[in-house]
Amino acid sequence: MDLHATIDGLSFQEKKVLLALQELGGRAGISDLAGHADLDQSTIMRAVLALSEHGLMGVREKKSSKAAILPEGLEYAHDGLPERKMLVTLASSGPEAVNEVAAHANLSEERNQIALVWLKRKGWAEFTKRDEKTVLAMTESGSEALSQKSADEKLLDLLAAQARNVDELSADMKEPLRTLVERKLVKVEEETWRELELSDLGNQALKLGIKLVEEVSELSHELLTSGRWREAKFRRYDVVAPVTPAHPGKVHPQQQVIDELREILLEMGFVEIKSNMVESEFWNFDALFQAQDHPAREIHDSLSLSKPERTKLPSPALVKRVAAAHERGVAGSTGWGYKFSVDISQRPILCSQTTAATVRYLASHPEPPVKVFCIDRVYRHEKIDYKHLAEFYQAEGIVMDPKLTLRDMLGYLKQIMLKLGFSKIRFRPGYFPYTEPSVEADVYFPEKREWLEVLGAGMFRPELLHPLGVKHPVLAWGIGFSRLAMIRLGIEDIRNLFNNDLEWLRTRRMI
Amino acid sequence: MPSITVNYRDLCKLVGKRIESTQLCERLGMLGIETEAAGDELKLEITHNRPDLLSPEGVARALRGFLGVETGLPLYKLSTSGVTVEVDLSVKAIRPFIAAGVVTNVKLTDEIVASLMQVQEKLHASLCRNRRRGSIGVYDLDTVKPPVRYTTTLPDGIRFVPLEFARELTPAQILREHPKGIEYGSIMQGRPRYPLLIDSRGVVLSMPPIINSEETRVTSNTKRLFIDVTGEDERVANQSLTILMTGLAERGFGIQSVAVKYPSRRVRTPDLRPIRHRLSTRATNEFIGLNLKPKGIAKIAKNMRYGVAGIKGETLTLLAPPYRGDLMHEVDLIEDIAIGYGYDRLKPTLPKVVTTGERASVERLSERARRVLTGLGFMEVMTYTLTNPHMNFELMRVEGEAAEIANPVSEEYTIIRNSLLPCLLSVLRANRRNPLPQLVFEVGDVVVLDESIETSARNVRRAAAMVIGEGAGFTQIKAVAEALLRELGIAHEVRPIEHPSFLEGRAAEFVSDGESLGIAGEIHPEVILGFELGHPIAAFELELKK
Repeated sequence: MDLHATIDGLSFQEKKVLLALQELGGRAGISDLAGHADLDQSTIMRAVLALSEHGLMGVREKKSSKAAILPEGLEYAHDGLPERKMLVTLASSGPEAVNEVAAHANLSEERNQIALVWLKRKGWAEFTKRDEKTVLAMTESGSEALSQKSADEKLLDLLAAQARNVDELSADMKEPLRTLVERKLVKVEEETWRELELSDLGNQALKLGIKLVEEVSELSHELLTSGRWREAKFRRYDVVAPVTPAHPGKVHPQQQVIDELREILLEMGFVEIKSNMVESEFWNFDALFQAQDHPAREIHDSLSLSKPERTKLPSPALVKRVAAAHERGVAGSTGWGYKFSVDISQRPILCSQTTAATVRYLASHPEPPVKVFCIDRVYRHEKIDYKHLAEFYQAEGIVMDPKLTLRDMLGYLKQIMLKLGFSKIRFRPGYFPYTEPSVEADVYFPEKREWLEVLGAGMFRPELLHPLGVKHPVLAWGIGFSRLAMIRLGIEDIRNLFNNDLEWLRTRRMI
Repeated sequence: MPSITVNYRDLCKLVGKRIESTQLCERLGMLGIETEAAGDELKLEITHNRPDLLSPEGVARALRGFLGVETGLPLYKLSTSGVTVEVDLSVKAIRPFIAAGVVTNVKLTDEIVASLMQVQEKLHASLCRNRRRGSIGVYDLDTVKPPVRYTTTLPDGIRFVPLEFARELTPAQILREHPKGIEYGSIMQGRPRYPLLIDSRGVVLSMPPIINSEETRVTSNTKRLFIDVTGEDERVANQSLTILMTGLAERGFGIQSVAVKYPSRRVRTPDLRPIRHRLSTRATNEFIGLNLKPKGIAKIAKNMRYGVAGIKGETLTLLAPPYRGDLMHEVDLIEDIAIGYGYDRLKPTLPKVVTTGERASVERLSERARRVLTGLGFMEVMTYTLTNPHMNFELMRVEGEAAEIANPVSEEYTIIRNSLLPCLLSVLRANRRNPLPQLVFEVGDVVVLDESIETSARNVRRAAAMVIGEGAGFTQIKAVAEALLRELGIAHEVRPIEHPSFLEGRAAEFVSDGESLGIAGEIHPEVILGFELGHPIAAFELELKK
């Protein structure tokens, strides 16, 4: 960025800091700068950060040890050390028994102890035994000390006025400092402080000239209506800098895939129908020509209901025709050859395949053309884990028209998959109890370089169509919706299709 | 779908041709068998309609035709064994049917034994419906002295040593103590007598459908096999026997029939006569969308192991192999022709049925509801409709009825929800660590019991929205509810209501045409705390209908 533009982009405060630093000789600490520029420290810090990002100044961290007086030390600096108080007492009283000196010195018990220890350590007085008593007597150095302050007392006075950098203290103060620290009258602390220094670029910028003009950060109603906006200088923003992200309210990822698929099927001319969560075994299985002892009807495959206890049967004629198809076959079929039970037909079940809905629709719309689809939840007797859900979506559709062929079926499947973005599709024979011929379709998934099974399809069996009164071929297809959605959303764990973590929902992009 | 494991080299040997493994899998796929190769072992998924493919012998038989190694109807030489099974009248009410056969010149290698055990197990699980419709027994014929009697016994009427056991047990003891008795005993539950297969000396062969005797066990030295299938379904018994016997014949063993004497009739099993079917060229071409000539269809049919008995005009008379009991209708033959033609060679044709697409009206409303609520900054969530009474009722401080699952997988999912609010509350509970405020909504179905309609219950589409955070209150949620109804064009009026899930004096009912659409209000503190939440919540749940 050229220097003029950089200067132009500086805020009022940043300019002020830069100029103040120049006035302080190009180098200063933060507190000095704060005083000089008349800004608070946090404003200075923000400005310094911006200025050093522009390379206009450098920040150097310095470490130093600082000696500062503690409360007890401050008290002694005013009143004198306890040992000096006792020395003065001793000077006026002459040698005396210890307890009497102590009483005269007018010190607390604790201070007395301190005074005695330090009188001895400093060699200002000595203890002698006389008539079973300990007597305290001033020494020569004690009397010398009376007339002048000792080094530690001088240091205490110095620090009482102001904390000092340890490096700045003279050499003969080192020992007293140690003593005072030991006596917990003074503390020495490591301190880090920042020194700011103009960089070459900063000096160049100052040479180019920096003018302080009051700036406006936001346009306001007042500025607009008063016309003052004309004179105002709008601070330039760092438009590249990151901002706090905004998150829109969004449709759930799985619903987005459902909507996408619905759109495709509507574009292809399919009419949408809905399924019943609670369905009778008649529509869920019997009408689909699934024998009443078919393994898919067993207790460990679908979820049956204890409430409601029973469903009603559709028209008796229809039930009779379906029963006949099972028992002895219709339309040239042998049938399953077992005794059909209407009791089983009436059992309620949680819809286990959306085909129940398409077959219901066929029963009431037996004339061509028919093109319907259903995207709804189905239920299975499954323990939920990363590969299985007990309820999940199924997408399914049928086409009925005279003269439809297996190849037409493949054409529909190919077109749906193309619209979903899969250009390579292959077909294999498959098996479903209610379609014949049946097809399985795999699509090529380039990211994983593998074929994935996503579709099952077939032409409804005559044993299914005949009882419903349908006289034309019906193509039926079903999409493994969960698998499709997992591919579309890049999800590995099927449970994440129902992930409701708000952070996840906020941050993942719409498809 | 049942799956079987076959050895790659064994399969190639049976096919009589060495095929590279990837190509083999590809061809099997085009025959309708999904494969997964793991070293020398191939895992094959067999569809429910083709129990004859549940053994490597059966797969090889189909492959030989498909690959053109050996086409047409497989022919089996069936001689008479002289063995008779006498069926006692007492089995009629218990397990009425039996089919049996004899296999000679047997040489049992490990592979053959493994394959024989596998096909039995897989037939039991699929075609035989866990031994209910049929159950198979295989014995060393040289330990049996015919005629064999198929009869019944009292639960403590006889004692014999069952397979894998060292001591004699009564039938009742077997049901209690033997692993197979425990597994399959339910089939015999409550029967006064149990089926029994016994020879002329009184040696027990087996107690169908549970267990064979140790005494008649097949060993590596066995030279002749006696096979029986008993069951409740004669078709299944015959079909299972045919699949087993023809499979063993594919290994080059001799197969012989057995006379079964019922009290009032006499049959000879297995019946290996081909099954005649007629196939119309026109129907075949119409179904698949091809233009094949009758001769072309005949050639394909032979590749699919059919025999061709004759062609008359456009009609072919096909002879299906005896193990193809799955053929119920002409469409089943047509599918075989399509498979024989090759699904990979079928060119998709462009669809030409012109119709106008149309959304379901409930989905149209739902889409618009989503647009309104996301526009107001709410995040959509999707929850399960399966729930439990504790969450759906107790935590909401309400009582009620919901659709109930008879065979739940877990205690967590025992009913179908009749309200969306508890689902949203549990979403908030799961999001406790995320920053507040949180605005969520769901558009989804609940189930309402309704005896007046066919299914005795119906789906009701609802929209529910919820705000949690300091300041979340009635005014805010009412404004959102009204915005939603206004944008959807649902005329309504608002009435005060008291509801246990909501704070007193802070809930309103929305009514349209005299019918309640739902409630908006501030959630009751007990409900909030019950869901382990600690901030005020306002919510609504409204039916979407127009």
